[in-house]
Amino acid sequence: MSTGTKKRTSYFAIGQTPFNRLFSLLKHIDYSLLFVVLCLCFFGLLVIYSTTHVQVTEAGSLFYVRRQLIYILAGIVLCFLVSLIDYHEIEKIAIPIYFIALIALLYVVFFGRTTAGARRWIVIAGFDFQPSEFAKIALICFLANFFNKQKERLPYFAYFVLPFLFTIIPMLLIFRQPDLGSSMVFLAILICMIFVAGIKWNYIIIMFLATLASFPILWSFLKDYQKNRLILFINPNLDPLGAGYNIIQSKVAIGSGGLFGQGLFSGIQSQLKFLPAQHTDFVFSVIGEEMGFFGALLLLALFVFVLWKGIKIAQEAPDLLGTFLATGVVAFLFFHIFVNIGMAMGLIPATGLPLSFVSYGGTFMISNFIAIGILFSVHIRSIFA
Amino acid sequence: MFNRKNTKITGDFIKKRLNNLFILIIICFAVLIVNLWYLQIIKGQEYEQRAINNCIRSLVEEAPRGEIFDKNGNLLITNRPAVNFTVIPAEIEDYNIVSRQLSSIMLLEESYLINKFEQLKQRPFQAQTVVRDLEKEQIIAVEEQKYKFKGTLLTVQPERKYLYQDLAAHLLGYVNEISEEELQSSNYQHLSGGDIVGKSGIEKYYDAYLRGTKGSKEVEVDALGREVLTLKSVEPIAGNDIYLTIDSKLQLYIQELMAGLKGTAIITEANSGKILAMVSQPGYDPNLFTQQISIEQWQGIVHSKDNILCNRSIQGVYPPGSVFKLITAIAALEEGTVGLNDRIYCPGSFKLGDSTFKCWRETGHGNQSFLDAISNSCNVFFYNMGQRLGIDKLNHYATMFGLGEKTDIDLPGELTGLVPSQEWKRRTFNQVWFPGDNINLAIGQGYLLTTPFQIHNMLCIITNDGNVYRQYHVDRIVSQSGDVIKRYEPEIIRKVNVSADTFRVVKEGMKKVVEEGTGFNARIEGLSLAGKTGTAQNPQGENHGWFVGFAPFQNPEICITVFVEHGGDGSQSAAPIAGEIIKYYFLQKNGQIVQLNE
Repeated sequence: MSTGTKKRTSYFAIGQTPFNRLFSLLKHIDYSLLFVVLCLCFFGLLVIYSTTHVQVTEAGSLFYVRRQLIYILAGIVLCFLVSLIDYHEIEKIAIPIYFIALIALLYVVFFGRTTAGARRWIVIAGFDFQPSEFAKIALICFLANFFNKQKERLPYFAYFVLPFLFTIIPMLLIFRQPDLGSSMVFLAILICMIFVAGIKWNYIIIMFLATLASFPILWSFLKDYQKNRLILFINPNLDPLGAGYNIIQSKVAIGSGGLFGQGLFSGIQSQLKFLPAQHTDFVFSVIGEEMGFFGALLLLALFVFVLWKGIKIAQEAPDLLGTFLATGVVAFLFFHIFVNIGMAMGLIPATGLPLSFVSYGGTFMISNFIAIGILFSVHIRSIFA
Repeated sequence: MFNRKNTKITGDFIKKRLNNLFILIIICFAVLIVNLWYLQIIKGQEYEQRAINNCIRSLVEEAPRGEIFDKNGNLLITNRPAVNFTVIPAEIEDYNIVSRQLSSIMLLEESYLINKFEQLKQRPFQAQTVVRDLEKEQIIAVEEQKYKFKGTLLTVQPERKYLYQDLAAHLLGYVNEISEEELQSSNYQHLSGGDIVGKSGIEKYYDAYLRGTKGSKEVEVDALGREVLTLKSVEPIAGNDIYLTIDSKLQLYIQELMAGLKGTAIITEANSGKILAMVSQPGYDPNLFTQQISIEQWQGIVHSKDNILCNRSIQGVYPPGSVFKLITAIAALEEGTVGLNDRIYCPGSFKLGDSTFKCWRETGHGNQSFLDAISNSCNVFFYNMGQRLGIDKLNHYATMFGLGEKTDIDLPGELTGLVPSQEWKRRTFNQVWFPGDNINLAIGQGYLLTTPFQIHNMLCIITNDGNVYRQYHVDRIVSQSGDVIKRYEPEIIRKVNVSADTFRVVKEGMKKVVEEGTGFNARIEGLSLAGKTGTAQNPQGENHGWFVGFAPFQNPEICITVFVEHGGDGSQSAAPIAGEIIKYYFLQKNGQIVQLNE
């Protein structure tokens, strides 16, 4: 059942005429997964509308909703394009993409646009663009390719040290921006992929201990505000009006939602702007407040469905490359979802990670859809394999 | 299913691992759901109540800065209550209306206010100051129109008060809102926009000690914004007090003496390095910066023709003129370039190749011994010394006495000045060092640039026979509970390697300067005083006048440097002022010891 040895002459590996090929590829896209993803996007649009429609901007009350819609549409188009490409092409482009991402991150370090004390953006043709989001996709491709190439030697320890180095470079660059949350995403992707690639349990234990040991070192690298967040995570009541404020307000918002929520557009916390960053990082708090326990539960169920689909696609992939790619995507989505929601409920330090498909933001939305496109690409080839 | 010859990784194995991963995901989601249940169902009622009552305001209580006292315990800088106009950005409904109302009351540009609000919005729930220190009429106007200013409040915060207006303004410095650059700097951790920090002088140098710790207050307000209940309050901790070595009476006397002039006067205890007074004229009133200051006013101060913010003692660089002859003299004695009994004939000018260098007395000084030459400040004598010593030696001795480098006084913004060298000239002008350059340097002209404080430091080194004291003007820092946090003691930081004999002879010459030479105008009957005058030519205009000196000659108590920018001859401009200051010092110390014949 191997496709790895088959000679491929076109991106559209299957079918006779280009149209036929295209048609049969599109036919096999997993539309249940796409539907659920679009439901999540709709959740996001509702919340964005609810929290921003009173903000007066020159562009009117639909400014954010309209922009988010454009991001979603762009995402869907890219998602289809990526799914049409045979994922084996990654063998050729994984290394260049990785280095392009590194260069973009370096560029940000020196020339990036600064907002709220962090240098995270570059401006391309009038659009703000966050290279760290694409670097996550680049890392998934790079690691999947690496593990695939080294599959004969995977159980050996040395082949788990190299990926660490490849991960730590972009991580440190993002850490410097500073963006603690995003740099942790890299680690999560690496760990999940290494785990699935077959690392021995005793290595996992060693890794765990090494991470614990490195905490004091990492601590000294953290900026003051990051240290503050960690301290306040442990005890938010230390500074209820300063850095602990966000966490407390978010918890109050979610808690006040009750079973059925306050109803859209009527969350006290959200509408009165007690909640910070409502349409970006704390989007879940608004869902909790306005849609209640059932709304939040529905959202979580949709996410579990997406992740379950991802795992299944990984398991049914025609070869290891496909498995690793799908695993990376699952890790990427999962970490964002878990950390963002955990943060809103005060389970995890406030690191500022957006919620996949729901939070407002262009680069992030598009990178999420590219990730789904990769899943589709693997899924389609597993059907034809 | 997989290509897996010779590998232990099997498809089933990976499937198992993926299953494990999915189990982890499910566990994580279960944790989220349980937490959600806890927050929304179990604690739901409680949180809902809190959300309804969520009218909690966070107010910052600014800490009073530490007070500053002079050496006799006279209070120089304190704090006064000021009323600030404060907003809580999240509670403001329409910024445009607030800006419009405010701009008419405060006489500020609307666009400036709108900009300011944009910055404040970054911390929407924090009460932040928009306009500091309102006038009485403004307070009344705001109170009258309170209904228009929802989300705003008047707060009372400490504001700096300089009790003696322009007294030692450059030394004490002033305060103002922290700048963007300062916010980024590690010296100002834990500060945020709008905080007040020292901008110059002691206020800046000792800012970390003076600043104190902000307090905070959490109050519940009703729908009208009135405080109903104080939930939590952390009292601010006032900054530490600073006791100076400055004698404010002496400082004030000198400032009055030098009123209308441009220049500086520095007076220190000879055998400790304690600064008793440091005057830079013209001065300014630091209170200006704590009040609302318009952009025009600010521009007027910063770009004033007389550069009034500049502390000329450490931030002005000037040629030292003949004061530098002390260095040339020391170098000549130490190097054996001239003997005490040698005489050099001064015809009124000195020829070097085609150039003629004039003595300040055109008719000449005739035969000059070493001591005569110091006393008369004979240029021709020192031209000869400069020619014999050469640049390398002159540079060596100048640097040894601290010229061309910071004195490391406890004030920010000190300049280094310039002691030229062959290397420097090649680098800067791509030229070799000419013999004529030696001639100029020997009498403190040419490329040489010094701050008055460097010259003062040089004087102190000579006075103390080579012992270099750390010059300082903070005696101790005391916490609010009365504990001395830091006490500064006199400290010899290095020793200049010059023989005691050389110092003795040069000081003998300095005594002669006042007794019968160019420093005659500084003379005080009944007190033996040693000094040296200087008249520095400069491209900007009229000569600068210098006088350095110490008294009494035996067991020196004080060192004094007077510099008058564009004041003309040092013997006419600086020396008389120095005389008056020294007279005042000893009079003040003990009116009976020094008999004054006014």
